[in-house]
Amino acid sequence: MSKQINVALIGNPNTGKTSVFNALTGLNQKVANYPGITVDKKEGLCKLSRVLKAHILDLPGTYSLNASSLDENIVIELLLNKNNKDFPDVAIIVSDVENFKRNLLLFTQIKDLEIPTILVINMADRMSAKGISLDIPYLEKVLKTKIALVSARKNTGIAYLKTLISNYRELSLEPCLNASSIDPTYFDQLQSAFPNQQLYKLWLVITQDVNFGKINRQEMDVAVFKTKSKSDLKRLQQKETIKRYQFINNVLKQGQTIDLSKAKDFRATLDRITMHTFWGYIIFFVVLLSIFQAIYDWSSTPMDYIDASFAQLSEWTKATLPSGVFTNLLADGIIAGIGGIVIFIPQIAFLFLFIAILEEIGYMSRVVFLMDRIMRRFGLSGKSVIPLISGTACAIPAIMATRNIENWKERLITILVTPFITCSARLPVYLIIISLVIPQGRFLGLSYQALTLMSLYLIGFGMAILSAATLNRILQFRSKSFFVVEMPSFKVPLIKNVAITVVEKTRSFVFEAGKIILAISVLIWVLASNGPGDSFKNASTIVKQEYVDLDSYQVDQKIAAYRLEHSYIGLIGKSIEPLIRPLGYDWKIGIGLVTSFAAREVFVGTLATIYSVGGNNPDTLKQKMSAEKRADGSAIFSLASGISLLLFYAFAMQCMSTLAVVKRETNSWKWPLIQLFGMTFIAYLISLIAFQLIQ
Amino acid sequence: MTPLVQYILTGIAVMAAIVFLLRKFLPKKTKKSCGTDDCGCH
Repeated sequence: MSKQINVALIGNPNTGKTSVFNALTGLNQKVANYPGITVDKKEGLCKLSRVLKAHILDLPGTYSLNASSLDENIVIELLLNKNNKDFPDVAIIVSDVENFKRNLLLFTQIKDLEIPTILVINMADRMSAKGISLDIPYLEKVLKTKIALVSARKNTGIAYLKTLISNYRELSLEPCLNASSIDPTYFDQLQSAFPNQQLYKLWLVITQDVNFGKINRQEMDVAVFKTKSKSDLKRLQQKETIKRYQFINNVLKQGQTIDLSKAKDFRATLDRITMHTFWGYIIFFVVLLSIFQAIYDWSSTPMDYIDASFAQLSEWTKATLPSGVFTNLLADGIIAGIGGIVIFIPQIAFLFLFIAILEEIGYMSRVVFLMDRIMRRFGLSGKSVIPLISGTACAIPAIMATRNIENWKERLITILVTPFITCSARLPVYLIIISLVIPQGRFLGLSYQALTLMSLYLIGFGMAILSAATLNRILQFRSKSFFVVEMPSFKVPLIKNVAITVVEKTRSFVFEAGKIILAISVLIWVLASNGPGDSFKNASTIVKQEYVDLDSYQVDQKIAAYRLEHSYIGLIGKSIEPLIRPLGYDWKIGIGLVTSFAAREVFVGTLATIYSVGGNNPDTLKQKMSAEKRADGSAIFSLASGISLLLFYAFAMQCMSTLAVVKRETNSWKWPLIQLFGMTFIAYLISLIAFQLIQ
Repeated sequence: MTPLVQYILTGIAVMAAIVFLLRKFLPKKTKKSCGTDDCGCH
């Protein structure tokens, strides 16, 4: 009489699990629904020997046992319930050779449930084409399992898999991770409360109840064990995942080798070129250059249109609404300030469009790999690249992204140098200054302005690397680190994904920055429209007495300028002018520097408001700024002062929110203060040298 | 719009701006500290 055992096929989606199922069962399979839900239940029979048959259940694909959907929940509910008629005698975890690391997370979780487990590495026929080699004896030893290298497509390795299933009683039940290492105190309490239960199973029951509400189980009722809040339990789940990946990384360091030089298929050829030690960097440089050139070429027309529209809207507001203090606030404060940010939507949207496309096609992961080679020389690892690249959008999420860097020294250095990376908040400042001081000519078809913008990105990155190297020598922490990156295949980008990213990032930039700019513009307007003493009150009389020969339009201009100079904001700007004059800035730029400490992009909004209050002409912001003159008649925004200003913004820590996040992440005021004074000092010094050399 | 209404609207706008900036930039009390190797935040 033959015996039948239950076999569960489990794996991440798209690992070829169903192909393995088909190879094992042939036509002996049927598809039904799980009770109560519309999820396919695929089961089949496989004859292992004359006396042994396997009832094989192809479970829905899941990434981990921390289920977030109902079909994923089916897997956990089955593995937690020994009374289920389908409870497996042996679990087969199907992994894909190209995504082995990610697949191992699920494997380690199931292994820790102490169920006999076999690891199938599918698509093994692609290993040589991908330059992947695996040390199977070593992996079997450290993962405490048996491994079958299978190609379900070519039907290889299936016979060996059947042999392993037949001998399932010989499989080790030893777990990969000691569950109590996740949180020893909590898990000790848990074990004391349920001494007869397996610890990791208890933990999964608790977290499943967190994810899906209390599930009716006769075997154990852990709902009474409420010693942690829901958010604490979620945090422990994250901690568990990190611990598992630490284990997996260590296993793969020795057990898996990826040698791209041996990879043969087309995508591998593309990989070899894009990650080549020389051509890889050239390609990256050309990609960057093309992006910046396109940003300039494509966005100039919509930007001019937006600039002119806001100038007209301001004029229309003044002409239509009754004259008064609120009308002035609307026209010169709010509309001018908002216009100062809306104008940059085209360029920011194009930048995010290109970044989203590069991410979608899988090129960004190659950049991370390329940069890892450079990073290591400067005391950082490839893991630092992700925060640094995220820093091109905003330093705040980038600094928070350093949390996945286990090594404290690398993490601290990454936190400290990330604000040097050109964030999107610097973009409005760069764009307006570049358009004012850099000529519009071209060199080899590339505009000087695009080249300048790209140079600023490279300067920011270079300074981040240089600072990292310096900090690496100064900070005396000793610790080891490793870097494993999962390289996605090159693929055609999904237009929907790209569109969502562009809209979401642009919307977030405009609204987040826009609120701050609007609020600061209102305050700047108040401070610029009021002033102490007789000079402000009697501005009209004083100017008319002084300039008797001018026509009425010129007199009005002079009165507005005189009022601004003697307003509260004028006095603030004047008081800091001696400090910034050596850098080539006047008091109006000084005001911009002060207000943009809240956020860099406020600089443009501030100047827009100041120049609107300080004159009655309906010109665009760019025209107003280029018309600004010193007492000697020279332009305020000259090449020397412009370059100086660009360099100041490239290096200065002009962002209160970033400082707050650094304080939170380092749990100390020491590091944000070092960052603030260090970066400001570097910015001042380099801007000073640049201005003095160029002028 | 009378001058009085204009002043009232301006006052409201200025107050709203001040309140927004204070809420945005004044440090908030945080329950947990973070930044050590095992701060429990990750």
